[in-house]
Amino acid sequence: MRGSDTHETDPTDNDRTGPEPPVAAVRTEDLWKIYEQEPAPVEAVRDLSLEVRAGDFVAMAGPSGSGKTTLLNLLGGLTAPTRGRVWVAGRDLTSLSGRELARLRLEHIGFVFQAYNLLPVLSALENAEFTLLLRGLPAAERRERVRALFREIGLDGLEDRRPGRLSGGQQQRVAVARAVVGEPALVLADEPTANLDSATGDALLGVMERLNHERGVTFIFSTHDPRVMERAHRLVHLVDGRIESDVRPSGRGSTA
Amino acid sequence: MARLRILARLSLRNTLRQARRSALTASAMVVGLALLTMARAIGDGAHEQWISDGVRLGLGHVTVEAPGFASTGSLDDRLDSARVAAAERAVAGLRASVPMVASAVDLTVSGLASSPGSSLPVQVEGVDPGAEAAFSKLDDRRVEGRYLEPSDRLAAYVGAGLADRLGLELGSRLVLTAQGASGGVAEQLVRVRGLFRTGIPDIDDGVVQIPIATARRWLGTPGAATSVAVLLRSSQETGRALEVLRARLGEGGGGAGVAVLSWRQVSPELESAVRIDDFGFYAFMVVLFAIVALAVLNAVLMSVLNRRREFGVLEALGLTRGETGAVVFGEGVLLAGLSGVLGVALGLATTWLLWRHGLDLSALYGQGISLSGAVIDPVIVPIFRPTRVVEAAGFVVVIGILASLYPTRVATRIDVAEALKFDR
Repeated sequence: MRGSDTHETDPTDNDRTGPEPPVAAVRTEDLWKIYEQEPAPVEAVRDLSLEVRAGDFVAMAGPSGSGKTTLLNLLGGLTAPTRGRVWVAGRDLTSLSGRELARLRLEHIGFVFQAYNLLPVLSALENAEFTLLLRGLPAAERRERVRALFREIGLDGLEDRRPGRLSGGQQQRVAVARAVVGEPALVLADEPTANLDSATGDALLGVMERLNHERGVTFIFSTHDPRVMERAHRLVHLVDGRIESDVRPSGRGSTA
Repeated sequence: MARLRILARLSLRNTLRQARRSALTASAMVVGLALLTMARAIGDGAHEQWISDGVRLGLGHVTVEAPGFASTGSLDDRLDSARVAAAERAVAGLRASVPMVASAVDLTVSGLASSPGSSLPVQVEGVDPGAEAAFSKLDDRRVEGRYLEPSDRLAAYVGAGLADRLGLELGSRLVLTAQGASGGVAEQLVRVRGLFRTGIPDIDDGVVQIPIATARRWLGTPGAATSVAVLLRSSQETGRALEVLRARLGEGGGGAGVAVLSWRQVSPELESAVRIDDFGFYAFMVVLFAIVALAVLNAVLMSVLNRRREFGVLEALGLTRGETGAVVFGEGVLLAGLSGVLGVALGLATTWLLWRHGLDLSALYGQGISLSGAVIDPVIVPIFRPTRVVEAAGFVVVIGILASLYPTRVATRIDVAEALKFDR
């Protein structure tokens, strides 16, 4: 890892034989993801070690093909690493069964996708409350939490609309609501502003900053968007599947 | 339970989401099932008709006869008066437990029919005119003269073909010759009172009916009979009737020196015809349902492949692979279930219409349809049997499950990370 115009973060401990790592929101160790394909295997993530503390607001930048999305998928347990380990909320994802992974995603991780990925057969409210429903929360509590969040992020009155009748910005806000309504420890957002105009993107970032600040939700973004990079508390730059730089711009993120 | 509800809700809404595609797929099943229900009812009606018409001209749904008569057809293997009386008592008792149409006592013998100009081999049936009219349809096939009456003594009801070949007319005299009970040749003069034509050459050219009292005197067998036949309201009751009669006459009828036989044993060719037709129907049904199952499979699979991203999202949000598969499985079963209900309802409605008016095949086959020596009515009346609805429902469930298995498997094996970048 290289330094930047600001101070570097602490290097991650790579010694597997050492004491158990402290509980962080996310931690990876010697992480590799290799896609076997012709004519040669593709090393999407290479020997990557990273630790993200709880409550951080991290942007991962880098050119296309640098491994940002793959890394997010690895952190979310959506794909298995070829080598290395990933811890989320203190649990080693590589040791979990499919059912345990599904439970961990449900209870500890929220996802925001570039293409929104709302379920088209559910209304905005039903989409947002989906994870709460899976967790078995009573209907009244689910509705109350979603409505409160909708008021907070400007979706009041749109509860019954299906995704097809919402604008891109509205859909992405519903997706954010779905990701954070269960108050997960970690939200992984894959280029969340890529399909939004600048005003909508700014507003959405504001929503996520506020959730980070007020609720302590940890956010990790993959992004090409300079606005996201400017507002991140920590900026990790990936090139060819490795961390090229990992900086914490001065004055951002009180927990750095 | 909450998870199950959301899975069911997703299955239902996904099914309704592509309304046109779902409707087209469902229509294949609805039409298939309606055809199946209707065809099955028509098939059952036709079979019942074959059996009914066949047993009316033969020995009924159930017959009591002397052991050995079925294979020898000889007068030596006849029921004596005591066993006839026992059989008639058993049949009278049967009415209380099994719906019956009629019963008839026959004395049948092979012999010769001679006119002044010629002699031909015939089957002479000694019948009780009153009982036989209710039992057999031969009196309905009268083309000239009249049927036998209880007061007749020397009357004969003759097949029109036989009459032609012997040069007989109404009122003509006819000599019947057969081996009597004593072993000697016995002759009986009778007079033609009626002619019938069934359209079946074996019957029209070879059967003569005379009063059973005349036959007994002629053959020297007072009170004897070769069979006591029972006509039931439905062939479905055959097993029960057989059971009751065997119980009343002793196990297998052997105890009282009688054999109680079903129409299946007496007319194996009729039984074979029904079985062969059933087999053809089931073969047709398998082909029909294979096509329907493939249509459902195609629709559900296409739907799954088009929604890989959604399944990826569901798993990212915390559904297990099994639960994602359950959504797809639910869609297939739901589609099959809804189609099944509609298909059976449509099938029953069309069956009801056909039941009211009957399915008249005379334009196709004329009036002379025959099967295994029996004259078949060209108007088929479908029969509704609840077991057939259960059968159809079973097929729907099987199709729903089979057609959903592969798409379910596909859905559970989706690479989530790949699915989420799908279309990007």
